[in-house]
Amino acid sequence: MSLKYITPAERFKRYLPKDYVELVDYGPFGKTQDEAGPGNMGQFKELVEEHPMCSGCWMAYYIRLIFASLPCPEETVTLGTAGCGRLAISQAAVPFIYGNYGDQNAMASGLSRAFRIRFPDKTKDVITIAGDGGTMDIGFSMTMHSWIRGEKFTTIMLDNEVYGNTGGQESGMSPKGAILKMAPLGKQGEKMPATALAQAAGCVYTVRMSPTNIKKAAKIIRRAIFVAREVGPTFIHAYTSCNIEYSIPTEDVFADAKEKEKTRFQFEEYMTDAAKEVIERVEAEEKAASKARKAASKAEAV
Amino acid sequence: MSAIERPQPKKTYADINYLLKEAPRKQHFITGAQAMAEAVKRANVDMAIAYPITPQSEVMHLVGDIYAQGHIKEYYRAEEELGTMSAIAGAARAGVRLFTATSGPGLLRGLEAIVSWSGHRVPAVLGILTRVINAPLSIQPDNIEMAYMLYSGAVMLHAENQQDTFDMTLAAFAITEKVDVYIPVAVATEGFFVTHAKGYVDMFDEEYALPAFDSVAAPVPAMDNETPPARIQRDAPVQKSNFMSYLIHAVWQQEIWDSNRRAMKYIYEYLGGPIEVQNPEADVFVVASGCAAAQAREAHRYAQEEGLSVGLIKVRAIRPFPKDEIRDAVKNAKALIVPEHNYVGWLCAEIKAAIPNGGIVVEGPRVYGGMTLPVELIMKEIYTSLGLEYDLKL
Amino acid sequence: MTKIVTEGPAGYMPQSAPSMGVELAPKGQALLYGNAVTEEEAMRDAAIALLTKKNPTIFPGPQVLWDWKEDVAEKSAAILELASEIPNCKIIPMPDYRPKYPKIDVKAEINPNHPNLTILDNRIDACIFVGVHCHYANLTLRMIRAGTSCYTVALCAYMGHEEAMASIRDLHASDILKFKDIVIEERNKLGIEWATTLPPENSSLEKDDYGTLSPADYGEYRSLIMTKKGEHVTDVE
Repeated sequence: MSLKYITPAERFKRYLPKDYVELVDYGPFGKTQDEAGPGNMGQFKELVEEHPMCSGCWMAYYIRLIFASLPCPEETVTLGTAGCGRLAISQAAVPFIYGNYGDQNAMASGLSRAFRIRFPDKTKDVITIAGDGGTMDIGFSMTMHSWIRGEKFTTIMLDNEVYGNTGGQESGMSPKGAILKMAPLGKQGEKMPATALAQAAGCVYTVRMSPTNIKKAAKIIRRAIFVAREVGPTFIHAYTSCNIEYSIPTEDVFADAKEKEKTRFQFEEYMTDAAKEVIERVEAEEKAASKARKAASKAEAV
Repeated sequence: MSAIERPQPKKTYADINYLLKEAPRKQHFITGAQAMAEAVKRANVDMAIAYPITPQSEVMHLVGDIYAQGHIKEYYRAEEELGTMSAIAGAARAGVRLFTATSGPGLLRGLEAIVSWSGHRVPAVLGILTRVINAPLSIQPDNIEMAYMLYSGAVMLHAENQQDTFDMTLAAFAITEKVDVYIPVAVATEGFFVTHAKGYVDMFDEEYALPAFDSVAAPVPAMDNETPPARIQRDAPVQKSNFMSYLIHAVWQQEIWDSNRRAMKYIYEYLGGPIEVQNPEADVFVVASGCAAAQAREAHRYAQEEGLSVGLIKVRAIRPFPKDEIRDAVKNAKALIVPEHNYVGWLCAEIKAAIPNGGIVVEGPRVYGGMTLPVELIMKEIYTSLGLEYDLKL
Repeated sequence: MTKIVTEGPAGYMPQSAPSMGVELAPKGQALLYGNAVTEEEAMRDAAIALLTKKNPTIFPGPQVLWDWKEDVAEKSAAILELASEIPNCKIIPMPDYRPKYPKIDVKAEINPNHPNLTILDNRIDACIFVGVHCHYANLTLRMIRAGTSCYTVALCAYMGHEEAMASIRDLHASDILKFKDIVIEERNKLGIEWATTLPPENSSLEKDDYGTLSPADYGEYRSLIMTKKGEHVTDVE
């Protein structure tokens, strides 16, 4: 574990800002999900806190969830591209690479391969987190080809069905008929079938979901990361509404996410046999470890 | 089998100065593409990413072969040039030594990523094997694409021949990784004229190689979960709507060009300087870079034989551009003739801007679209500049 | 000696030191106001600045703040020894390089994207940067020269910095201790009385107890943290 680079030099700890000391003392680095995971968000120092996302932003919530779910934040690098998401992702206490437009999966291909040759004995999780435009429009070729090449990293698409950051233009992931900027008469084509494309391109684990259930969403994020470590490309297509461009009142954001779960974002999980094997093994291991910890702490209490 | 599990050839690691100046060399008769690949073989490259385009493809085929032989740890064919150049930028964050190459339209397709390399502080070597830019479609040599690279921030070297291609490519790896440089170095040479033609190249044994990439000795932290800080954006989106955000971008840009400027001392150290001057007392100079310099050299030889007062200035470094050196070398010249393999005359514009008396610069001769550059075209300009008649026969 | 690089403010659009013709010092030498000099000469000038100018401050960067390499312990100890000998010296860290959002606590840290905020707010007239990666150090030093009158010292493990008034290259812990000795010598020459004292700890350091923190502590922002099962928060900003 590379905890060294996030451990303050002994002599300097008292000179660090509170923010950083807390991150070291109360952050999730080197901790388990029981200690610092989505189950107790708000009670530990999170990797992403202050961010400039709009009030009621469902994407901001999901990004926080991603970071709280990371199996090993101290061995993780995230990549992103233009869009709202990067405004929050870039605030996380995890290295974040921002390149050019839609190039996150090409960069991640280079990065993850370079990690494998430099650190053959370590596991470094590479995760691209980009919007629907970055993943499926401008970055389409680079996204698809990273999957076709079988690159071992996780792709998460934050689908708000619109170009939010540039002011509400139609994207390939917008639903047919949606009246948006650059689609003044309503979108002509269909919403792109992202998970079907991912499966056709060789992703070994894909999920489409509206992340309304924290526990379930966290489990999916972790599954995608575990499988990418060993088997091949994984993809999560998550609904993260834009309450501004789709005029969703803040108090209705959750209800909207629930509703989308019944329509365009019905839960769909796909995995190959090899992926399933990894998931079953890792989850059994985690369960056993968690049980052992609980037993140990009970014994200590007694 | 993963790259690192494959057997790797035994290497003797040596300092760049030893390799370039002292290591015993043997003469080979090889193409420019081979010369570039042979340099890559001796550079201890970690990873190379390929995408085909004529006339570059030959280089990355050969690099693929040396990967197969175990000289390089990782190599793959990317989806297209933007994907290639982006992957180079991604891999650079992990702290490894990188190489790729492209040509004309491919360079332009990758340009969005390439121009961001300097700002991202990507220490990679880029081979540019020149080719015309469409339309109309052609695969022939013409170095117009270098004009688009001039403001990319990258260090640019222009090789005259196969020997230059070997030495400059090797030196490029040393230059790009200097802590005070750490921006990409492009090594350009003419497609076909150099890449597919054979020439004599003195090379040291392939057992010798540069030492491994040092990811710690860098002006920016590697993003490898080993180097602090964790809360980091090496390439921060710095946009915040206030004065400070503009200033950070402004000083960042200055830093790129300062880094470019700092590369000059290494160009002196490794390549003997950014220009080569023959017959420094001459009245008329032929100033050229790349393949045109080979023709200029020939014109210079003709002129010497005919007893004309003609000198040669070969420009090795296009960025940083040797303004001071050229200004000094031509301070007593009466005319400068700038032969080029492109329509726009980017070298001519650079030279004019470097000297106080731009009026002495003769615009040309220029050939483009893949046409060769007959020495006679240069001779005609020499004669005209000296007030002599020249009977041009082609 | 002609001073090429001097304390600012250099103005709205600063010219970079390299573009003014300043070159990095060769091995074994240092830079002082843009000129190559001996390491001792640069250290002496820097020491006098730190002893005579207001609010001297050391800005340690990530390379010495985080325990990632073997030489960190030795270097950080040496930096604190140096700080203890400069009267009323403060230590304000540069823990990372991303722009601070929503706003920087200028008493607690400095940031390379807007370093002058910390310099100006704390009225720092002389400072030392150590352990900052060269790219960010150059940006920082130039912005400080652009917008403030602060005297800057760069202690660099690599080739040094053109933008600093005094720049030491190839820095080891032993060089920091040598600098400390020069500070003591100059202090005695100037007749300044000072008992070796460690700088005060970071001014932001009062801690929340995360052990007892609950979403309720986030007040009106609690809905942004998470909702309880079945809870429907309507009262938000």
